[in-house]
Amino acid sequence: MNSYDLAKKVIFSLSDEAGVSGYEHPLFPALQGIFTSLASETRRDFIGNFYAVKKGLDGKSGIMLAAHMDEIGLILTHIDDRGFFHFSAVGGIDDRTLLYQEVIVHGQEDIRGIICSVPSRVHQEVQSKKSIDMTQLVIDVGYPRETVMNLVKPGDIISLIRKPFSILNDKIVAKALDDRAGIAVLAICLNELGRLSHRHNVYAVATVQEEVGLRGAITSSDGLQPDLAVAIDVTHAQTLDTKNQVSIQLGKGPAITVGPNIHPRIFTDLTRCAKESRIPYQIQPIAGETGTDARVIQLTGYGIPTGLISIPLRYMHTSVETASLQDIVDSGKLLADFIAGLPENLEELLCC
Amino acid sequence: MSGQNLDYDLLKQLTQCFGPSGNEREVADLIAREVNSHVMDSRFDVLGNLIVRKPGKGKKILIACHMDEVGVIITAIGEQGYLYFAPVGGIKNSDLSAKRVLFKNRRMGVVNQEKNPLEEGKPSGKFYIDIGVSSEEEARKIVREGDMAVLVGDYQETPSHILSKALDDRLGCFIAVELIKQIQCEQDLYFAFTVQEEVGSRGAKTVVHGIEPDLALILDTTLSFDSPKEKNRTSLNRGAAVKVMDRTIVVSPLIKNWMAEVAAQQDIPFQWEIITAGGTDSGPIHLTGSGIPTGGIAIPVRYLHSGNEIAAKFDIVSAFQLLSALLQNPFQEI
Repeated sequence: MNSYDLAKKVIFSLSDEAGVSGYEHPLFPALQGIFTSLASETRRDFIGNFYAVKKGLDGKSGIMLAAHMDEIGLILTHIDDRGFFHFSAVGGIDDRTLLYQEVIVHGQEDIRGIICSVPSRVHQEVQSKKSIDMTQLVIDVGYPRETVMNLVKPGDIISLIRKPFSILNDKIVAKALDDRAGIAVLAICLNELGRLSHRHNVYAVATVQEEVGLRGAITSSDGLQPDLAVAIDVTHAQTLDTKNQVSIQLGKGPAITVGPNIHPRIFTDLTRCAKESRIPYQIQPIAGETGTDARVIQLTGYGIPTGLISIPLRYMHTSVETASLQDIVDSGKLLADFIAGLPENLEELLCC
Repeated sequence: MSGQNLDYDLLKQLTQCFGPSGNEREVADLIAREVNSHVMDSRFDVLGNLIVRKPGKGKKILIACHMDEVGVIITAIGEQGYLYFAPVGGIKNSDLSAKRVLFKNRRMGVVNQEKNPLEEGKPSGKFYIDIGVSSEEEARKIVREGDMAVLVGDYQETPSHILSKALDDRLGCFIAVELIKQIQCEQDLYFAFTVQEEVGSRGAKTVVHGIEPDLALILDTTLSFDSPKEKNRTSLNRGAAVKVMDRTIVVSPLIKNWMAEVAAQQDIPFQWEIITAGGTDSGPIHLTGSGIPTGGIAIPVRYLHSGNEIAAKFDIVSAFQLLSALLQNPFQEI
């Protein structure tokens, strides 16, 4: 399959599923379907990280690629006397985006519902043009309390409903493109590596629980102890309201991060690779630690040389996240070219 | 293992120990004395965690609870002998006003807030501790910078409830000690009484190394949402709370379901713990190494960290029963 079609296939098969942090298991069948043919081996660990291993020619060193599979969501905290569900956030949900969204409550069975608010509050808040705090929002599933008590319980996970779709100019709109677009990059990278020769073993890891504290990356990097790692995540792209605060643009190629979280040689090698392969790219300087899996991977064990490639994304943490398919494909190709071009002795590259 | 014969005198002793984060030795010594004749190994690690083992041929299971309590640390001593302080753990100045605090040497003090003589009305300045002295010199004979104090909160047992300071988490320690004395099971049990939970679960970050358990179960307290106008959430007298999520962990659904199934099979009352603020030792423990399957049992407590905490015996007994039952019916998917 060409990488462009693969990107579409991965995003359409993954973004439709619910995989809220800690509850990523609904994604496994789709992940298995995507990676079985691309890797020599796939496996899962207890916390839920998914590994697709592609053996290299000599396999002396291990390269870890990490993109997180989890998405932000909600969790049911209690059911009130009227049968409305109260909830808390799992990950960084923006309260402003919630009112009147369609949701699925993953109880004994999946139940559809909508997010509403106490009527008097809506009236006041809308009039004062303020968004409504999550504590004032509830979910209405249509049933009275007596009926729902048998179907759901506190702790059940709630996910937003949104079918992925394409818009003009190669753009794709979906929930959880953060970071299922990164998983697509992993798939494209392994796909491209199928026709390139590479020396080192590649461990593509779809990590869990990034949105609640980079937790899957902490345990998977400790288990793998790779010689080099690259995280793939999303980054804010310019929108109408970002003014001059954001420099990364949608459709202008992968953003390659530079800064203390990133090994300088990985940064220069990625940019050199992009130039040589005529892949457009953007540079994203980040002054401190990044808010991605790269942050914890770098500090695993004795320290791991780490890089970060980010896919430009508009409207992050809403259900209408928007990305460019071309950026996703280019990110995967860049990563594959980078891995294929790595020298036999990584120490020489990284320690001087 | 009915939990009907728990020795609440021990709980009284445990809660009245002096043990702010980093100063847990008084608690640890009491626990060590209590469990000594029931365990194989007993050791302290570098940070002060107390680790004891009750060996068995089955799965290696770690049970952890923390010994420390919230408090304050003296940062400066003023000219008139007033003591200035910073919080140790999640304790708010506004909760301290007019309360008594206790130093390790058993000296008490009263917390108050400075007033600006030019402003009428409410106090507005820094909080300080008055230990009943008239000069800095006199104060320095009793305390010095770096000394810690805890909230005073006498222990009282009613037929159904316990009122005390430091129920967070001496209740966990109490259940663990009682369990060590009573349980007979085939699992290889490690009990960790950890330090410095209130300042970032710091003891829990080192305690697992060298044990590498198949499973960890954390015993702690949790927020109770049952003040007069609240209902339908985690509350006193509804049983042990099975941890679903807090700020530091999302418990694996496999583990939370196992815990709930065992509770249901044995008719042990339980509820769910779902909070977005606060964490416990389960956070660092489940992320140690390449990950450790971890669950949590919590006892709901009203007015946590206030020095005047209230818990229900019904929930204490349920937590004891649930932990015993879980150890007899261990998690199979590890």
